[in-house]
Amino acid sequence: MLVDDYYPVAIFALISVLVPLIAFFANRLFRPTNSTALRETTYECGEEPIGQAQVQFHVQFYIYAIIFVVFDIVTVFLMIWALAFDSFGIDSDNLTNNLPLVCASAFTGTMLLGVYYVIKKEKILWI
Amino acid sequence: MELHFDYSGLYEFLYSVSSWLLWLVGRAFEFIGVDSDNFFYPVRQFLTDQQFVYFVALILVALIYLVAGLLFGIQFIWMERKFLGRFMDRRGTQVGFLGFFQNFADAFKVLLKAVIIPKDSDKRVYQFAIFGILAVSFMLLGLVPWDNNFYAVNVPLALLLGLAVFSLAPFTLILAGWSSNNKYTVIGGMRGAAQLIAYEIPILLVVVSAVVMTGTLNFAEMVAWQQNNVLLFIPLFIGAITFFIAGVAESERIPFDLPEAESELVEGWQTEYGSLGWGLIMAADYLRAYIVCVLFSIIFLGGWAGPDFIPGSVWLLTKAAIVFFFMVWLRAATVRIRTDQLLKFCWNRLLPLAVINLAIAVLIRVYSVGWW
Repeated sequence: MLVDDYYPVAIFALISVLVPLIAFFANRLFRPTNSTALRETTYECGEEPIGQAQVQFHVQFYIYAIIFVVFDIVTVFLMIWALAFDSFGIDSDNLTNNLPLVCASAFTGTMLLGVYYVIKKEKILWI
Repeated sequence: MELHFDYSGLYEFLYSVSSWLLWLVGRAFEFIGVDSDNFFYPVRQFLTDQQFVYFVALILVALIYLVAGLLFGIQFIWMERKFLGRFMDRRGTQVGFLGFFQNFADAFKVLLKAVIIPKDSDKRVYQFAIFGILAVSFMLLGLVPWDNNFYAVNVPLALLLGLAVFSLAPFTLILAGWSSNNKYTVIGGMRGAAQLIAYEIPILLVVVSAVVMTGTLNFAEMVAWQQNNVLLFIPLFIGAITFFIAGVAESERIPFDLPEAESELVEGWQTEYGSLGWGLIMAADYLRAYIVCVLFSIIFLGGWAGPDFIPGSVWLLTKAAIVFFFMVWLRAATVRIRTDQLLKFCWNRLLPLAVINLAIAVLIRVYSVGWW
């Protein structure tokens, strides 16, 4: 059953969240806690920072990120397609006769065209 | 019940240990007189129940596997120090036996440092980001098996799950950089997120081609396929190279260490972290490199496949260490690349290579069904 299969994963996730938390709370017993005003300033080589650092970022960054996220999802679709590859019954004499193969190629091709367009449009990607 | 431990694997062993322990607990309850008419009898029933024994066994497995993975992952720091030293014609660290104690000395030092939270930072998110990146790295440790007998999690979709957890890292990078409210960390976090999501695409595409060849997402079946047929490194050579380069970028190592370029961004998105937080982030960095090495050796080098006179997990760890040696070599031989080059390299070189690799895998499967 699915729940039985993934039961260890849930336990491991629990452990992996709890271990850092426990490490931090146990660390309170060892570390000194005296803090001064100067220590808590932002690290900028001893200077008082001018203005906020949390500025509006260039919109290109977000568009770029969205393209990659879309590509991520497409790759996951392809992964499921690859998992079912054995059940397609590929006809190796005539490649265009295989619907799954043609569909996946069209799918990937469309995405690659989009990527090509983005590279052409955005000459320089500044991050 | 006799003291009979099952030594055939980590799971079986710890299951017998936990059932023995809880049997002792049941005996103790019986000894103090908790019988069927006692008020605490349900507690005794619960503690000796089969489901609870399984639960305790799972927790023991998770803890032991986590510690084993952590120790080997942290050992990569020692390997890097020694290899880099030899590449630079010096000896590397000398603390203790062959420098093995350097890591532990560092850990104790970091443990005794005061925690400083910058006053301008977003304190909750600032602290949460550490737990986020650590939990992600620890979770990944559990998902990669060492052997047929030594694993924490063995699920049908392990590879997909592992990659999904891997892709959570950019969020924590952005959170850490943004919440520290420092110009260096914001730029470092943005760069880190951009780099990690960019280089994930070639990795995913290469994994898709490996799935086309083997027809499974389970690590054990993948290794079994390679034992029966051929190491995937040979037919998917292009993919292996692509995976390696993208893996180096995913673990933020030197030719691609733009998120923490120390000559421009101090320490990148980790600038404001100190004490135990920084130490654990550093460990998580090496753990990610370790995960990439283990994934590479499982997917392409046959994992624990090898002659029987050496245990399988030793084979896997040796292969992972060899892959890591090449990572250190890359670090010693190259310089950091520019930001625009970083993304151009991913779009223009690695992505087409990954697609070509996928096409090769599909063509091999189409034209040689039953041969491979």
